[in-house]
Amino acid sequence: MEDIRTGVYICHCGLNIAGTVDVEEVANYAGTLPAVVVARHYHYMCSDPGQALIKDDIKNLGVNRVVVASCSPRMHEPTFRRACQDAGLNPYLFEHANIREHCSWVHDDKRLATEKAKDLVRAAVRRVSFHEPLEIKERPLNPNVLVVGGGIAGIQAALDIANGEHRVYLVEKEPAIGGHMAQLDRTFPTLDCSECILTPKMTEVGQHPFITLLAYSEVEEVVGSVGNFKVRVKKKARYVDEEKCTGCGVCEEKCPWKVDSEFEMGLGKRGVVYVPFAQAIPHVATIDKEHCVYFLKGKCRACQKFCDAKAIDFEQKDEIVELEVGSIILTTGYDIFDTRRIQQYGYGKYDNILTGLEFERMTCAAGPTEGKVLLKNGQQPGSVAIIHCVGSRDENYHEYCSRVCCMYALKYAHLIKELTKAEVYQMYIDMRCFGEGFEEFYRRVCDEGVNFIRGKVAKVTDVALTEDEQGRLIVAAEDTLLGRMIRVPVDMVILCPALEPRSDADGIAKLFTINRRADGFFMERHVKLDPVATATEGVFIAGCCEGPKDIPDTVAQASAAAAKALSVISRGRVVIEPTTAQVNEVLCQACGRCEEICDFHAPKIISKDGLRVSSVDAALCKGCGACAVVCPTGAMSVRHSTREQIKGMVEALLEV
Amino acid sequence: MNLEDIINKTKTYYCLECGKCTAVCPVSRHNSNFSPRLMLERALMDSEGELIHDRELFSCLTCYACSHLCPSEVDYPVFTQKVRSLASSQGEHGDCAHSGTLLSLMRLMSRPNIKQRRLDWLDGCHTSEKSEILYFVGCAPYFEPIFEDIEVSPVNVARNSIRILNALGIEPMLLPNERCCGHDLLWTGDVETFKKLAQFNAEMIKESGAKKIVFSCPEGYRTFKIDYPQYVKLDCEPVHITELLAQNLSKLSLRPRAKREGSNPEVKKVTYQDPCRLGRHLGIYEPPRELIKAIPGIKLVEMEHSGDESICCGTSVWTNCSSCSKEIRIERLSEAKATGAELMITACPKCQIHFKCAMVDKGAEKGADVKMEVMDLVNLVANAMETQE
Amino acid sequence: MAEFEPKIIAFCCNWCTYAAADIAGTSRIHYPANVRIVRVMCSGTVDPIYILRAFEMGADGVLVAGCHEADCHYLNGPLKCDAMFEKIKKMVNTLGLEGERLRREMIAAAEAPIFAHVIEEMVEQLKKLGPSPLREGVKV
Ligand SMILES: Cc1cc2nc3c(=O)[nH]c(=O)nc-3n(C[C@H](O)[C@H](O)[C@H](O)COP(=O)(O)OP(=O)(O)OC[C@H]3O[C@@H](n4cnc5c(N)ncnc54)[C@H](O)[C@@H]3O)c2cc1C
Ligand code: SF4
Ligand code: SF4
Ligand code: SF4
Ligand code: SF4
Ligand code: FES
Repeated sequence: MEDIRTGVYICHCGLNIAGTVDVEEVANYAGTLPAVVVARHYHYMCSDPGQALIKDDIKNLGVNRVVVASCSPRMHEPTFRRACQDAGLNPYLFEHANIREHCSWVHDDKRLATEKAKDLVRAAVRRVSFHEPLEIKERPLNPNVLVVGGGIAGIQAALDIANGEHRVYLVEKEPAIGGHMAQLDRTFPTLDCSECILTPKMTEVGQHPFITLLAYSEVEEVVGSVGNFKVRVKKKARYVDEEKCTGCGVCEEKCPWKVDSEFEMGLGKRGVVYVPFAQAIPHVATIDKEHCVYFLKGKCRACQKFCDAKAIDFEQKDEIVELEVGSIILTTGYDIFDTRRIQQYGYGKYDNILTGLEFERMTCAAGPTEGKVLLKNGQQPGSVAIIHCVGSRDENYHEYCSRVCCMYALKYAHLIKELTKAEVYQMYIDMRCFGEGFEEFYRRVCDEGVNFIRGKVAKVTDVALTEDEQGRLIVAAEDTLLGRMIRVPVDMVILCPALEPRSDADGIAKLFTINRRADGFFMERHVKLDPVATATEGVFIAGCCEGPKDIPDTVAQASAAAAKALSVISRGRVVIEPTTAQVNEVLCQACGRCEEICDFHAPKIISKDGLRVSSVDAALCKGCGACAVVCPTGAMSVRHSTREQIKGMVEALLEV
Repeated sequence: MNLEDIINKTKTYYCLECGKCTAVCPVSRHNSNFSPRLMLERALMDSEGELIHDRELFSCLTCYACSHLCPSEVDYPVFTQKVRSLASSQGEHGDCAHSGTLLSLMRLMSRPNIKQRRLDWLDGCHTSEKSEILYFVGCAPYFEPIFEDIEVSPVNVARNSIRILNALGIEPMLLPNERCCGHDLLWTGDVETFKKLAQFNAEMIKESGAKKIVFSCPEGYRTFKIDYPQYVKLDCEPVHITELLAQNLSKLSLRPRAKREGSNPEVKKVTYQDPCRLGRHLGIYEPPRELIKAIPGIKLVEMEHSGDESICCGTSVWTNCSSCSKEIRIERLSEAKATGAELMITACPKCQIHFKCAMVDKGAEKGADVKMEVMDLVNLVANAMETQE
Repeated sequence: MAEFEPKIIAFCCNWCTYAAADIAGTSRIHYPANVRIVRVMCSGTVDPIYILRAFEMGADGVLVAGCHEADCHYLNGPLKCDAMFEKIKKMVNTLGLEGERLRREMIAAAEAPIFAHVIEEMVEQLKKLGPSPLREGVKV
C-alpha cells in the first residue's frame, strides 16, 4: 500500500478567515497531524498562485492527498479538484474543510473559531486518508428512442425526435394511432376541427423515414438502463398482411357481421374486419378475432374472397420484435371514468344520457349521426343539461380536477346552440377557464344565452312530479347561488366524466420501473423542476398519462419530453459518475433490501456465477446512500461517502 | 498475551494437521478462503503481523464444531478469541454487520454514568425488589427496534421468561441498570470493555444479594458461567431457563392450545436448533428436548445434524455476516424443512434473528424458499401454558 | 470554574441544511461555536452508527438535519431518515439518553436563521443538561 502523504492548505481569504481564525496556528497544528507532510497558509488559495502551491507540492513533495481549508466546498470544491487533476492527482483524493461560512463568518471569538478550524481540518485530514481514486466512466449509448402510445402526445414526441434524424419506434396498442384526439370533433377554445389538425401529423408519422410505427403492438419486457434499453414488443396478429393491404375497405364492406364500433363509442357499427376510421394510420384492416365467425366457427372467409390484394391471412401469428433504444417516452394517455359507477346519474338506465366522448362523435360530420344532435327517437332535443365533474373533484372517486371538462362543456353548449334551438343548462361546481383564450370563450358562450347553474347534481331521474316533467329527464341539484333545490326537466343529458389513469397503468409503471402518484397517474421526478422526467433515468412521460390536461399542454409536454430524450441521446455516450453505490459481493446476502429502498431502481438482485448478489447499475444510481443504511451486512456502500469516511470524520472531530 | 502465549494456552502446537476441523467447519464448507487448520498452521509458522490482518480471522463462528472433534483437543474458538484481541488492539475488527450499531450499543453500556431505561416492557410480569433469583434480561431491549422488520421480538422472550418463572411461583429480581454481559465484545477481541461490563454486572449482582441468575440467552449464560470467573468474583449460580424448567416440568402443567378451544388437537411437528453456546459450549442438549416433548400435541423431529453435530446459525458477534453465512443458514433451514416440521424451535434469540433474516427476500427475483416459522423455546412453553388460564 | 461547553455534531444534507449553514455564513448570522458540521449527501444516508459513534466519542448532542420532505434531491431521503431516526431514538432512549440530545430537523437552504436558532437552542438546552451520560468517565 502506498504511503499517505497529505498536504494541508489554510486559506486566509484576505481577512475573511484570517480576521477571526489564527491561520498560522491552524497550519502549524495541521503539520503535526498523522500523514501530513506539508501544511501551509496562504492569502487566497483559489487564486492561481494559491493553486500553484498545491500543484508544486504534488509534483515536488509527492503529496498524494490534499486538504484545503477555506470557503464552502459548494463554492470551490470543483476548483481545487481541478488543481489536483492538473497536477496529475486523482481529483477525488481532495477534501475541503469549510472554515469560512461554517466558522470565521459565524463566530467572533478568535480562540473558539481557531479551535473549531483545527477540528475541521483534523476531520478533513482523517477523511481524506480514506479517500480512493475514482474514475468517471463512459458507456456507449444507443441513439434510438422508443415512444409508447400513439395519441397526440406520442405523435408529437415521435415527430420532434425523428425530425432531428434519430430513429423512433412508436408502439401503439390499438390498430391505429391518434388516441382520443382522433375521436374529438372540434377542439376548444378555437373550435378548429380535430381531424383537420391531427391528420397531417398522423400521415407524417406514417411516412417519416425515421419513424418505425409498430401499431397493434404492446411492450412485453424492458431490460437495461439509460442508453441501453432492450425492449421486447409483441406485434399482435391482425390476420391482414400490412404490406399488401391497401386499406380499400372492401373486406369490411363484404363482412356479413357487424359489431359496435369502439371509435364511435358504440353509437355506430363496424365490420368484424375493419379500418377503425377513415383517416386511420396505418391505413390497413384488422380482423377482430374475438368476433370473427371464421375463428369462432371455422366458416365464412368472405373478406378473403373479396380482397384483391390477397392481404387476408388467417394463419398470421403474433410476432416478437426486439428493439434496442437509449431512451424511452411514455405517452399512454388516459381512460374515461365509467359513468355507470355513479348510479344516481342514470347512465345506461335512461335513454338520451351521453358521455362527452359520445357527444363528440355525435357532432362530428363524419360520425354516426352525420353531425346532427339527435335524441334516440330521431328528433332534436329542446333542452340539454351538461353535468360537470362526473367523478372528478369528488372524494368518492377522484379528488383531482380533470382540467378539460369545463372547457369542452362550454364547447358543447356552443355547438348545441349552433346546431339546434335547444335551451342549454351548465350544471357546474366552479368554472375553470385558465388557459389561453379560455376566459374569452367562456364570455362568448355566456353571451349566447346558456344557463349556468352552480351546484353539484344530486340525481337524474325520469320520475316526474309535474306535468312539465312528464316523459323527460329531470336533473335535480342544489343551486348553491340561490341556496335552494331545483329540478330542471330536459330532453338530453351530457355527462362530463373524469379523465383517469389507464386501467393497466400499474403494470406499465412496473414494466418501465417508474412510480405512480397517489392519484394513480405516472409520477414525475419533480413536480415543478423536472415535470417530464421520472425517477428512472432515461424514461420520460408526457401527455395525459402524467395527469389530465388539454391538447396544447399535452403537445408542449411531448415536445419537452422529446427534448429531454434528445439531450440524453445526443451526448452519444452514457457518462457514469463515480460517486455511486457499490456492492461487496462477499458480504451481500441478496436480501433485496437495497432493491426495495432505492427510488431510482439502481440495485437489482442478480445471479452471478451461481451466487445471488445485488448489483448496482451505476447509470441509474444517484449516490444518495439510502441503500447503504438499510443494508444489514455492510455489503452496500457509496463511493466517496463510505462509512469509514463519515465515521472517520466524526471520530476525528471529537477526539480532543 | 502475545501469539506465543496464545499458542501455548490453546494447545495449538498439538495440531496433527488431520484436517477434521476444516472438514466439519460450516464456514469452510461455503468459504474456501477459510480453514481452521490453515489458520493454526499459519499461527505456528507465520509472523503474527499477517494473521491479525486477515479478514478471515473474524469469520469463525466459534461454534466449537471443530474442537469437538479435534483428536488433540486444540481449542480453536479460544485461539480465535485471543488472536482477535491482538488484532483488535491494532484496529482490526472484521466486517461489522449493521454498521457496528450493536457493538457500539454494547460499548456504550460500559459507560459509568448511564441510567438505562431498559425495563419498560414488563407489563403483566411479576418481579420483586428483593429475591434470591435474578433474571438476566440481556440485550433484548436494544435488539427490539433493530429487528422489528423481520418480526422478531426478543423482549417478548424476556417477558415470557418472567411469566413462566411466575407460574413456578418465582418473582425474580431484575437489574434496572443491567449492563451487557460483554459476550460479543469479548469474542470480537475488545477485552478491555468486556472487563468493564463484567465488573459493573458483578458489582450490581453482589449488591442485589441474588443467589441464582436465570438466563434465557445462552450467550449470557456461557459468559457468566465460563468467562466471568476468569475476570470477576461472582457469588451466585448461573442457570439457563431450559435447565430450570426441565427440573420443574411437573409444576408447569402444559396443555395444547386446541384442547382449551374444545377441538381435537392436531399434532404439530417441530424441530429443534441447538444453539452452539448451549450445546457444544456447555453440553446442554437434553433439557430443551425434554421441555418440547412435555408439551402435548407437539412432536419433536430431529434434523439430519442435531445435538453435538448440529450446525450453527451462521453468524456470530455481528461480524463477517456474509454470503457464506447466508448459505449456512439456507443449508440449515433446508434441513429443518426436510424434517416436515412446521416450526423451528431455538433457545437463543440470536439464532432466531439470524434465521429470520435469511428469509428476507425483497428483490424482484426470488431465491430458494426457506421460509418457515422460527420460535424461541420460551415462547413455545409460554403459549402452551396460557391455555390453562 | 469555566462554564460547561457542550459538543454538538450536526449531520447536514448537502443540498439543504449544509447550504443553509453556508448562507448563515454569507449573511453573518452568528451562532455558538459548539457545533461541528459533517456534510452528508442526503439525510437518508445518515447511518445509526454515525450517531452512536458521535456519542461514544463524547458528543453531548447530535443533530440530523436535511431537506423538507418535498425538497429532497433524491426524492424520499427525509422519509427514510425519519424511519432510521425513530429506531435510533428508541435505542438511545433505552440507554437513558435525554431526548434533547438527539434532534431531527428539516431546514431548507433558505432557512439560515432557523439553522442558527436550532444550534442556539440546542447549546442552551445542553448547557442545562450538562455532559452526556454516554461520555467516558466524566463524573457528574
Ligand atoms: C370528451 C373530451 C373532450 C375533449 N376535448 C378537448 C378539446 O376540445 N380540446 C383540447 O385541447 N383537449 C380536449 N380533450 C383532452 C384531450 O383528449 C387530451 O388532451 C389528449 O387526447 C391527450 O393526448 P394523449 O396522447 O396524452 O392521450 P391519449 O389520447 O389517451 O392517447 C394515448 C394513446 O396511447 C395508446 N396506449 C395506451 N396504452 C398503451 C400501451 N400500453 N401500449 C401502447 N399504446 C398505448 C392509446 O391507445 C392511445 O392511442 C378532451 C377530452 C375529453 C375526454
Ligand atoms: S445510493 Fe441511492 S440511488 Fe444509488 S443505489 Fe443506493 S439508494 Fe439507489
Ligand atoms: S441490502 Fe445489502 S445484503 Fe441485502 S441485497 Fe442489498 S447489498 Fe446485499
Ligand atoms: S468454531 Fe465453528 S466456525 Fe469456527 S472454525 Fe470451528 S467449526 Fe468453524
Ligand atoms: S443474519 Fe444476523 S447479523 Fe447477519 S444481517 Fe441478518 S440479523 Fe444481521
Ligand atoms: S438531499 Fe437533502 S434530505 Fe435528501
